[in-house]
Amino acid sequence: MRHNVSNWNRLLTTNLLIYATSNLHRAAWQALLEKQPGISIEGAVGTFKQIAGIWPSPPVVVLVDMPLVQSELVSKIRAIKADYGLLFLVEKYDLDEIVAVLRAGATGLITHDTTVAELSRSIIAAGRGEIVLPQELATQALIALARGDDVKNGSSVVLTEREQEVLDLLARGHTNKNIAQALFLSVRTVEAHLRNIYGKLGVSSRTEAAIWAVNHDHTLSGRTAANR
Amino acid sequence: MDHRQGKQAKTVAEKERTRVAVLGTLAEFHHEPIPYDMSALVDLVAEINPDLLCLDITPEQWHKQSFGNLPPEYQEALLPLAHQTDIVVAPIGGGQALPKPQADGWRGKAIKRLRNWIATLQRTASGPDAINQGWRHHLANYLYAAIRWFSVGEVEKATREHTDHLTHAVLQVARRDPDARVLVVVNVQYCHIIRGRLRTYDDVEVAAYTAL
Repeated sequence: MRHNVSNWNRLLTTNLLIYATSNLHRAAWQALLEKQPGISIEGAVGTFKQIAGIWPSPPVVVLVDMPLVQSELVSKIRAIKADYGLLFLVEKYDLDEIVAVLRAGATGLITHDTTVAELSRSIIAAGRGEIVLPQELATQALIALARGDDVKNGSSVVLTEREQEVLDLLARGHTNKNIAQALFLSVRTVEAHLRNIYGKLGVSSRTEAAIWAVNHDHTLSGRTAANR
Repeated sequence: MDHRQGKQAKTVAEKERTRVAVLGTLAEFHHEPIPYDMSALVDLVAEINPDLLCLDITPEQWHKQSFGNLPPEYQEALLPLAHQTDIVVAPIGGGQALPKPQADGWRGKAIKRLRNWIATLQRTASGPDAINQGWRHHLANYLYAAIRWFSVGEVEKATREHTDHLTHAVLQVARRDPDARVLVVVNVQYCHIIRGRLRTYDDVEVAAYTAL
């Protein structure tokens, strides 16, 4: 290899499993996504059993294209593949459906009328365990997910200005890439800020952090660089 | 301080410096059937996979997502690549458009001749490495300088101001995120100047793009 940086790409590749009952859809997604940078297609399957038999190295995302998104299916896949990103293709966004599949363990949903670039970005984000949702519904979905959770006292949490900006954008449903782009920081730096935020908030995932932010009105603070 | 301590201190100092590489592009030449065509540019930047990609776009253009006047390598190659990968775009451009080098009479003829030489140099280059380093890169840099010298008006001054602006904007990007790997992709005529200016700052380390 002429350039000595090829290992970076290998490290950052998201391994994709396509799960679609229709042969034609499987072939179409495969053809569409196999040349996208940062994505390696590890298989295209038509049954749940076939997913269980494939073990790509992480990060792995299962892209599910089914006529109906069923929470039971989400739970079944999640039960056997706890660390996979589960991204569902849907005809249109429905808040109740979003909340139900997120509760069941989905990583995100994306509509069929998205662009290839947007789908690629979503797959990469889902591979990192990020919630993939339309921004206009993200806060509502998080509020719905947070409903019934005890609101812990957040007055003792001290975040830096940068961490507050990152948390605000997280609670608005932005992916790490979008947060990084809004603040002109690298994705790795955003990930480092998120780790610090999780530690300070005493949470273990971005969903918990986002719900914490929603419960503490972070999405209303309007202090993000994206809004300036 | 013994030799080993000195080496350790140097390693720490090097770690604290942000790594920045500058890659030159060829504007409309990337459309031609040359080894460094649009596809080669995309493959190269995808392979380097920088954290931050500094482009000669103004912050206003970026915020309005107004890319109609940008060179083809930005519109057709780098912005789409960044959009669908983890590469974050940092706009570093200044506000004013640069005047095109031109003159009448013998100076105009000289500029035309020099432009033809540069075009030949770039068309016959074996790839991005030949464009961005080695004798071909240095010769092209002298030819660009000569074109600015022959041209009338404020071309030299405008180029200096533009490259000063780009350099300072790159520094701001690097200082905002010191751990990032920063790739600056600008027209090849500015590469040499920007690399030289960046090397005068202690908090950045100018690396070859192949070693970013």
